[in-house]
Amino acid sequence: MKSLRQIRFLCGKDLRIELRKKESLVSMAFFGVLILVMLNIANGVGKQIDAEAGAGILWVAILFSSVLGLGRVFAREKENGCVAALLISPVSSGEIFVAKALVNFSLMLLAELVLVPIFFVLFGARLSGDPLALLPILVLVNFGFSTTGTLVSAISAGTRRNEVLLPILLFPLLLPLMTLAVKATALALAAKPLADLRGQLEPMAAFCVVFAAAGYLLFPFVLRED
Amino acid sequence: MTTFNRSALFPGLAAVLIPIAIGMVFFYSPLEKTMGSVQKIFYFHLPLALTAFLSFFVACISGIMYLRNRQRIWDARLAASVEIGVVLTTLVLITGSLWGKPIWNTFWTWDPRLTTSLILWFIFASCLILRSAIDEEGKRATFSAVMAIVGFVDVPIVFLSARLFRSIHPTVIRADSVGLETSMLVTLLVCMAAMLVFWVGLYKFRVSLFLQEAMINDLQTDGTKS
Repeated sequence: MKSLRQIRFLCGKDLRIELRKKESLVSMAFFGVLILVMLNIANGVGKQIDAEAGAGILWVAILFSSVLGLGRVFAREKENGCVAALLISPVSSGEIFVAKALVNFSLMLLAELVLVPIFFVLFGARLSGDPLALLPILVLVNFGFSTTGTLVSAISAGTRRNEVLLPILLFPLLLPLMTLAVKATALALAAKPLADLRGQLEPMAAFCVVFAAAGYLLFPFVLRED
Repeated sequence: MTTFNRSALFPGLAAVLIPIAIGMVFFYSPLEKTMGSVQKIFYFHLPLALTAFLSFFVACISGIMYLRNRQRIWDARLAASVEIGVVLTTLVLITGSLWGKPIWNTFWTWDPRLTTSLILWFIFASCLILRSAIDEEGKRATFSAVMAIVGFVDVPIVFLSARLFRSIHPTVIRADSVGLETSMLVTLLVCMAAMLVFWVGLYKFRVSLFLQEAMINDLQTDGTKS
């Protein structure tokens, strides 16, 4: 119970900072919409796309915008030497990992609340799927992205080239998750029932479990080096 | 010739075995019926793939060992195996593409094994970029150990996700049988042995070079302190 309260406290702290400064969320949503608009123009004005291309476009926008927010979560702690303060506070490194991953998860979800409707406005003309059918895919990707991302952003925040290294280190690890997500999204956008997506959703859940475990176990080593 | 130089053992053996292997590939092994001489690249492709995978396995084990006991030697082993692994995977991809062009009529296709090797290449190449971005020895070692472990943990999921793609990659060695002529198999085994010996030689050289580098660094920093 104690660790749950501590995780809630750490999350609350980060989300409160975010609500007051709004630096991550605004830039994430803004950048994501920008990518969607650019891809819409690149696709050729007035041309419609099918479900497979649409799935790719949606995930490019979400992935690139989420990496912006992810970089900030740790950079903010580094700037004021808060990592040392976190380490001497009576919370374990594992709890810090869970809290940071939850913050990333919620930031991504909030950004997606903006991105997914705009995606449907821009590209939805020939997509028959229900936007709500994307929910399980979004949740799984957010989970996998935030656990992997929390670990990797702690690594990249410890180097001199944080902003450059974060996507370089993170995207290769996320490639399998993205492959599965694009495939599942294509099916969902083509209005296939949820049962047809099982072949993709199960390996995605496996990815989430594996990286949540790896992140939880390896995060303490990384945090102590910062 | 008074003392036997032990560090020359594996390179010396490789210098004998590799010419023998090349000779056997071109003069001993028979010409394949349909693919002709193009098939001969297989004798290098498979041993390269094997040793590349061995490198990443060694890197993961070294990463775990480094995090457990923080000895410089494990960081040296990790650095050596990641470097060699990236070079070997590059060669695997190149030899595979050269074979694929005449046989599949394309340099690249999204086949499970090709995808897995490519993603592995990305993950471990990013680990090399990470190493180049950090100056402090302990931090570099910890971060790259974490990346090597996470990268290796990713392998099964990468393969799982790549199953989505239709496979056209030949399966020569199955669990129950080997689809090869005896003389071809002998050639392949000699090539594998040559490549393994070469790998060990290269690995030992790189590890000792890395340790010497670190010792020189120690000397230099001691000199500036006093």
